[in-house]
Amino acid sequence: MVVGSVSRGCQVVVIGAGPGGYAAAIRLGQLGKDVILVEKGDTLGGVCLNVGCIPSKAMIHAADLAHEARHSESMGLTVEGLTVDLPKLVQWKDGIVERLTSGVGFLCEKNGVEVVHGEAEFLSDRTLSVSTEDGRVEIEFEQAVIATGSRPMALEGFPHDGERIIGSTEALSLQSVPERLVVIGAGYIGLELGSVYAKLGSKVSVVEFLPQVVPNLDPEVGKLLKRQLKKLGVKLHLEHRAEAFEAGDPSIVIARGPKGEELRLEADVVMVTVGRVPNSGGLGLEAAGVATDDKGFITVDDRQRTSAAGIYAIGDVAGGALLAHKAYQEAKVAAEVIAGEPAAFDNVVPAVIYTDPEVAWVGLTEAEAAAEGYDIITGSFPFSASGRAMSLDSTEGFVKVVADAGSKQLLGVLAVGRGVSEFIAEGTLALEMGAFLEDLALTIHPHPTMSEAFQEAVEAALGRALHKVNK
Amino acid sequence: MAFVFNFPDVGEGIHEGRIVEWLVAEGQVVAEDQPLVKVETDKAVVELPSPHSGTVLRLHAVAGADILVGDPLVSIGEPGESAGPKPSRARPSPHSPRSAAAPAAAPPPVPSRRPLATPRTRALARELEVELQHVQGSGPGGRISDDDVRRAAEGGGGAPAAPRREPSARGAVEAARDGEVERVPISHLRKVIANAMRHSKQHSAHVTHVDEADVTELLAHYRRAKPAIEERTGARFTLLPFFIKALVAALREHPMFNATVDEERQEILIKKYVNIGIAVDTPEGLIVPVIRDADRKDMIELAAEVNDKAERARKRELRLDELKGGGCTITNIGPLGGVFATPIINQPELAIIGLHAIKERPEVVNGEIAIRSMMYLSVSFDHRYIDGAEAARFMSDMVRLVSDPMLLMARL
Repeated sequence: MVVGSVSRGCQVVVIGAGPGGYAAAIRLGQLGKDVILVEKGDTLGGVCLNVGCIPSKAMIHAADLAHEARHSESMGLTVEGLTVDLPKLVQWKDGIVERLTSGVGFLCEKNGVEVVHGEAEFLSDRTLSVSTEDGRVEIEFEQAVIATGSRPMALEGFPHDGERIIGSTEALSLQSVPERLVVIGAGYIGLELGSVYAKLGSKVSVVEFLPQVVPNLDPEVGKLLKRQLKKLGVKLHLEHRAEAFEAGDPSIVIARGPKGEELRLEADVVMVTVGRVPNSGGLGLEAAGVATDDKGFITVDDRQRTSAAGIYAIGDVAGGALLAHKAYQEAKVAAEVIAGEPAAFDNVVPAVIYTDPEVAWVGLTEAEAAAEGYDIITGSFPFSASGRAMSLDSTEGFVKVVADAGSKQLLGVLAVGRGVSEFIAEGTLALEMGAFLEDLALTIHPHPTMSEAFQEAVEAALGRALHKVNK
Repeated sequence: MAFVFNFPDVGEGIHEGRIVEWLVAEGQVVAEDQPLVKVETDKAVVELPSPHSGTVLRLHAVAGADILVGDPLVSIGEPGESAGPKPSRARPSPHSPRSAAAPAAAPPPVPSRRPLATPRTRALARELEVELQHVQGSGPGGRISDDDVRRAAEGGGGAPAAPRREPSARGAVEAARDGEVERVPISHLRKVIANAMRHSKQHSAHVTHVDEADVTELLAHYRRAKPAIEERTGARFTLLPFFIKALVAALREHPMFNATVDEERQEILIKKYVNIGIAVDTPEGLIVPVIRDADRKDMIELAAEVNDKAERARKRELRLDELKGGGCTITNIGPLGGVFATPIINQPELAIIGLHAIKERPEVVNGEIAIRSMMYLSVSFDHRYIDGAEAARFMSDMVRLVSDPMLLMARL
């Protein structure tokens, strides 16, 4: 290819090949559109497949296995000489990533999606410039989908060097288990990866500015997670602001407590997980007339349309919950709207935190429902009363449901416990279908499963739980 | 981020309106309280003032668009600021879960309750352009079915009300078959009038009593006073204030004609104040501004207030509070001719007074035929609470008052 500017044309250009971008490109291909998918990285799949959801879950599973193997004496199991070969574990994880990202490439190809690797910048609301290895390609498009995602937020005083100060990305590819790991930020990424290294043998400290972990959820969840972290030996320093980093052997993280007291934490590795910011800079959004909010998230309506006609935004860069499954749904909406179909995003978004135990929720929390003016009833069921939970030796947690007191319509589900990520989709379906508590109570849940607790919580809300004493 | 001004709840149970006219343009700098837009609601055209000063970044709806309370109207902020998503007829996305999990997410949109419908039904509603908020579900607990949505799409509105629409739909088809027709959308005001009239006719037991008055002397007095009053005030002085005053005097003797009924508690509320509604004929339809405390105003003040309110009614500039609180209404049909009419009561009042044309007619006065100025006066009353004899006595009192200016003066 000649170096310089090459002009191309297509019906739809999709920028970013994460879950949002590749899903939009594939669906657009299915709908008969001529699509170019632009990705600045070497592989498809974005943060989720490469350095996010999937690899972290692989690491979490391995860490859980190691942890359980070491803690199953009560079941009569004693494992001696268990070792953790981290390079091998990382290699296994990389194999999964490789399989998935190449799978996405295969699907794109089969759906007629052309992939161009390079950095994209809008020149106008109809042209995009892509800097590729072979030079600049100018793409003239009819419609565009922005799916550039988000990246970890930097923290002042903690310059990222990828070795001593790392982000979640490097945490998934460490070659040895750090003796002392300091995690800054007790959001879900910090808690998930902090727990992984605690289980693999690190001494983990977590520094969090807020007074609570997962502050948006029911306070019971924060309390339970705190208790579990303590059991894992994780030291949680709430209401502490991380201020400075002193390099050395060991390095020191200096944090300031609520009364101004100084906390000095020894660290071999510091992992900064203080939130994520949208990848909306350097895209030439102004040239395209695409508006963002004050945090840089692109503003969209429920059809994923931005302020520029013909330009759509989906996934993390469009704000809302920064979750891959939200991006998938938005991708389908954008693609279908582009194809002239009457699609719109009008869904509830479930969320999962892969801590130990897992936390999963969908719909309104008790506080949110009350704030919306609902007269609510709730019901909960503890896993300590579940036969399945006992047989898994995982009795921590509970399921709680929130419903409208008058109509008994389900408004929200919160579950904490082993494997609850797998049945939160039931609550999501119930909300989408507009289920009433009676619908759920009259649905048989297989025994023995963790999902029975959902049915019991519903019956508790109706004042007739079978396996606990009703209030 | 820019401030988004949503169509506010202007009270009176109003939940929808139509944008009549934008008074500002995108890019324009506005001051706090500066009128932004004229919105026609069920009751009036209201001007909405700007809650903030700043630059108008975006108008979210076009003139003529129907809007619901809570819909974004305009974004106000600093020049160059983001104005939020572009206008959409779509409803805001469902409650907060969209943002619940976000560690660094934008604040959730204003919550709106989800319609009780499955994803498939919601998709069908989008396809048929039906707003589920306006559809009443026929299923258990009010669940909206696919059929409810289809009915709403055909009927263009609420769901199970469809059967009543059929005759008019047939009528429309026949009309179109017989020749060319023009389809004109029914204005908010006309819908309101239609509903109010049907409600009144169905609700009250309407009877109209008509009496006749010799207003020769009243006219003579009026004609003498008119030039002097008009010279002093510089405004037109009409005969109407005499009739308002006569009504005020008659109401004092017959308080049931200035009353309303609390049907739930089975009590009659007799008003100790006298607020008179005046029916005004405007190009867009009937509007009834209210003259408050008519008993405490002189005829010149009444004339000025009637002129002002009639003028503003025609321009649709009346405030909501100027259209409510009436105790008894006058409709002055006389200038438009006719013998007499049977007006419909303005709910929740119990009576409406019709003033009909003044005509010179031969009358027997003191055994001789004389040419006198005669007029019919009517009262339509609610026979559930007012008997015919009472109406007859009330009318003959009115007739005496307008026939004899000295008596009217004595009872002012």
